[in-house]
Amino acid sequence: MVGPPPLLGVKVLEFAGLAPGPFAGMLLADAGASVLRVDRAVPGQTHAPSGGKAVPTEDMLTRHKASIAVDLKTPRGVALIRELAAAVDVLIDPFRPGVLEKLGLGPSELCALNPRLIYARMTGFRRDGRYSAMAGHDINYLAVSGALSLLGRSGDKPHPPWNILADFAGGGATLFQGVLLALVSRQVSGRGQVVEANMVDGASYLATFPRYALKTPLGDKGRGRNLLDGGCPFYDTYETRDGRYVAVGALEPHFFAVLRKGMGLDPSWDTRRDDRAMWPELRDLFTATFRSKTRDEWEAIFDGTDACCTPVLEYPELEARAGREGDQRPAVTLRETPCLAIAEGVKDPSIQGQGSGLSGGGYVGIPLSPGDGGEAVLQKWLGWNSGKNYDVEKGGLVWKSRL
Amino acid sequence: MTRPPPLAGIRVVELAGLAPGPFCGLVLADYGASVLRIDGPRSPKGDVLARHKSSLCLDLKHPPSRDVLLELLARADVLIDPFRPGVLERLGLSPHEVLLKRNPRLVVARLTGFRRDGKYRDMAGHDINYLAVSGVLSMLGRPADTPLPPANLLGDFAGGGAMCVLGILMALVARQAAAAGGAGQVVEANMVDGSAYLATMPRLATKTAFWNAARGENVLDGGCPWYDTYRTKQSQSVESGVDEYVAVGALEPRFYDALLRGLGLDPATLPPREDKTQWPALRSVLRAKFAEKTRKEWEGVFDGLDACVTPVLGQAELEREGFLQRLPVHMSHTPGKAIPHGQGDWTGGTLAHGFGGEEVLSEWTGWAEGVDYTKTASGIAVRMRAKL
Repeated sequence: MVGPPPLLGVKVLEFAGLAPGPFAGMLLADAGASVLRVDRAVPGQTHAPSGGKAVPTEDMLTRHKASIAVDLKTPRGVALIRELAAAVDVLIDPFRPGVLEKLGLGPSELCALNPRLIYARMTGFRRDGRYSAMAGHDINYLAVSGALSLLGRSGDKPHPPWNILADFAGGGATLFQGVLLALVSRQVSGRGQVVEANMVDGASYLATFPRYALKTPLGDKGRGRNLLDGGCPFYDTYETRDGRYVAVGALEPHFFAVLRKGMGLDPSWDTRRDDRAMWPELRDLFTATFRSKTRDEWEAIFDGTDACCTPVLEYPELEARAGREGDQRPAVTLRETPCLAIAEGVKDPSIQGQGSGLSGGGYVGIPLSPGDGGEAVLQKWLGWNSGKNYDVEKGGLVWKSRL
Repeated sequence: MTRPPPLAGIRVVELAGLAPGPFCGLVLADYGASVLRIDGPRSPKGDVLARHKSSLCLDLKHPPSRDVLLELLARADVLIDPFRPGVLERLGLSPHEVLLKRNPRLVVARLTGFRRDGKYRDMAGHDINYLAVSGVLSMLGRPADTPLPPANLLGDFAGGGAMCVLGILMALVARQAAAAGGAGQVVEANMVDGSAYLATMPRLATKTAFWNAARGENVLDGGCPWYDTYRTKQSQSVESGVDEYVAVGALEPRFYDALLRGLGLDPATLPPREDKTQWPALRSVLRAKFAEKTRKEWEGVFDGLDACVTPVLGQAELEREGFLQRLPVHMSHTPGKAIPHGQGDWTGGTLAHGFGGEEVLSEWTGWAEGVDYTKTASGIAVRMRAKL
C-alpha cells in the first residue's frame, strides 16, 4: 500500500501558456497537486450554458488539470483571480516581466494578500537582463546562455536538442525545483515567497560540467571535438545495415575491450584508441563495422555485456513492444508516496506510479478546453458556486460581489 | 531582510561518484544543505562539482569504517547513492533493512542510468546509452547525420542529477506533511525515465500531423528555416577560424515578419512559409543573407526587436564580458548561496579527499578523534571499539 502523492492538497493556479509554464504545472499535477489553468474567455464557447466545450488550446501538457476562463481585461475578472490567489498555494506566471503587475496581480499585491503564496515566475531571458523585454524561444535562451555554443557537430552549426534543454529542463523543471524549495522552506517558516526562474540561468547551470571542462583536456578541443560531444569515435552513434542506429559509450578501457571483442576488431585498438590522431581511422572502422550487421544482430551480441553499446530505440517500437520497456513512468520514483502513474494498468505503483494512468499512456496528448472542469474545482477548493460567488459573463468567470 | 537558504539545516551524505551524483549534491549545497561527500580508497579524484561540500574518507568495505557512515546516516536527512543496483545492499547498507530502520526519517536517493528493474540494470552504460533506450536520442540530430545527444547534458544532468534533486525535495515535502508522521523513504531516479519525461512534449507532438516528420525535419529540431542557427560573416576582430552564429527562433507570424524586415527581405519575393516544400529554398535565402553581415552587425539590427534573433554566445566571451553565473532559480525570501566568483563559475574547484569532513562528523554526531574514531595511516576514519 502506498501513501498519497507528495503534493496532495497543494492548490496551483497556472496562467495558460505554452511549454515551460504548463510543464511546471504538469510536474505539480503528476505529484498530486490540484492544478487549475486560467485561460482566455471565448464568448459563447467557454463556460457556455449549453455545456459545450471550447476549442482546446495547443497546450498538450495538460494531464490532471482543469481550466477556468477569465477575462483579465475586466475588473471583476481580475477580482476573481485575486480572490483565488488568496486561497491557493502556488501561482504560475509565464508572462513577460510586468504583465501581471499591470493587471494589479503582481507579487506585491498577491503576496500581501496571501503570505503563504508561492508566486512562481517563468521567463526565457533574465528578468533584469538586456533581452528582458524581447521575444524569444528556447533556441534564443540557449544561445545567449553559452550552452548552445557547446552543442552540435564540429562541421555544422550549433544545434539544440528540440526545445528540451531550455523550455523543459532549464525552464519548467527548474521552476518546479524552485516551487519545491519554497514548499520546503514554507513548512519551516509558514511563509511563501517569489520564485523566479529563467531559461538562460537554468540552461547554464545544467551545463556547469561541460563549461568547466572547456578549460581542461576533457573539453578544450572546440565544439563537437571532445570526448562527450560527438568528437570521440567510441562515444557516438552509428548506423547499422538496416538503417537503424546503435549508441556506443565505451569510455573506460575495460568497457572498450568488451566492445572491441564484440565488434571483432584487432586487440591493438585497446591501446591505439588513446591516441587522438588515430580517432579518424577508428571512426571509419566503427562506421564500416556497424554497417555490416543489423541493429538486432548487434543487440544480440552486446545485450547483457559491459560494452556500453545499446540500440537507439524509436518511439513507435517503444510504444508497441512490451519487452522494450517503453511504459512511461513518473519523472522520479518515490517508493512510499509515488507520483501519479502515466502508463495504464501498472502492476507496482511504488515503481510505476499510482492511480489508473492516462489514456494513451503518455504517448498521446490529452487536450484541455478552456473552461473545462474548472467550476468543479472551484467548488471543491472553496465551495464556490456560480450565481453565489461568481457569475459567467461573455464566457468568462467574474467575481460576484460589489468591488 | 532575507532568511537562511531554503535547505539550511538539511544534512546530506553524498557517496562519491562522477557527474550525476555530485551534480545532485551540488544543487542541494547551493541551496543551503550541508553536504558531506564520502570518499573511499577507490573514489574518483577530480570531481569538480564540489563547491560548499566537505569530504570524509571512509572505506565502506571495512566494517569499523562503515560504522562511521552508519552513525552519520542515523542523523542525516538525505543519502545520495550513485551505485549500480545491489552495491549498497552488498555493503551491508540496505536502505530498507538497515538504513531506514535506524533512521526512519532518512531520504535514500538512488541514482542510476538504466532502470533498476529493467533489462539493462546490470549493464554498464553512459549518458548516450540511457538516452538511446529511452527513445529520446532517436529524435535528436541532423537528418543527414546519425543521432547526436547534446553532450551529456540530458542524461547525466537534466534527466539524472536534477531529477534526483526533484525526488529528494518531494520526499522532504512529503516527510513534513501531517499524514506522513515524519517518515523518509527511498527515492529512485534513473536517466531513462528522467530524460523521457523531459521529452514529453516532443514525444506527444510526433503523434500530430504537423510534427511527425523524420528526425531533424520538424519545426523545433532544425528542420525549419526560421528556427535554427546561421553562420554570419567572419568578423575582423574575432580570432581567425572561429565561426560566429546567430540563433533564429521566429515562430510566430509577427516575429517572422520582423525577421524579414530586419534582414531587408521583401515577403513578396519569398515563397509562403507554410509550404514545407519551399523550406530548402527559404533556408538558402536566409543562409545567404546572414552571411552578408558579421554577428555584431546583426546584433545591431535585431537587439530590441521582437524578431527572436540572438547571437550564439561562446563561453570564453561570456567570461571576458563578466557574465555572472547564477543559481538556476531565484528565491526572494530564502535565496540560495550566490556562486562565488572565481570559485565555481568558470572553473570548478576540486575538493580534496578528507577536507572538512571531520568537523562535520563531530558536529552531526558529537564524535571526537581518539575517543570515538581514529584515522588509519591513509586517512580513512574508523570507529574505535567502545571501551568495556
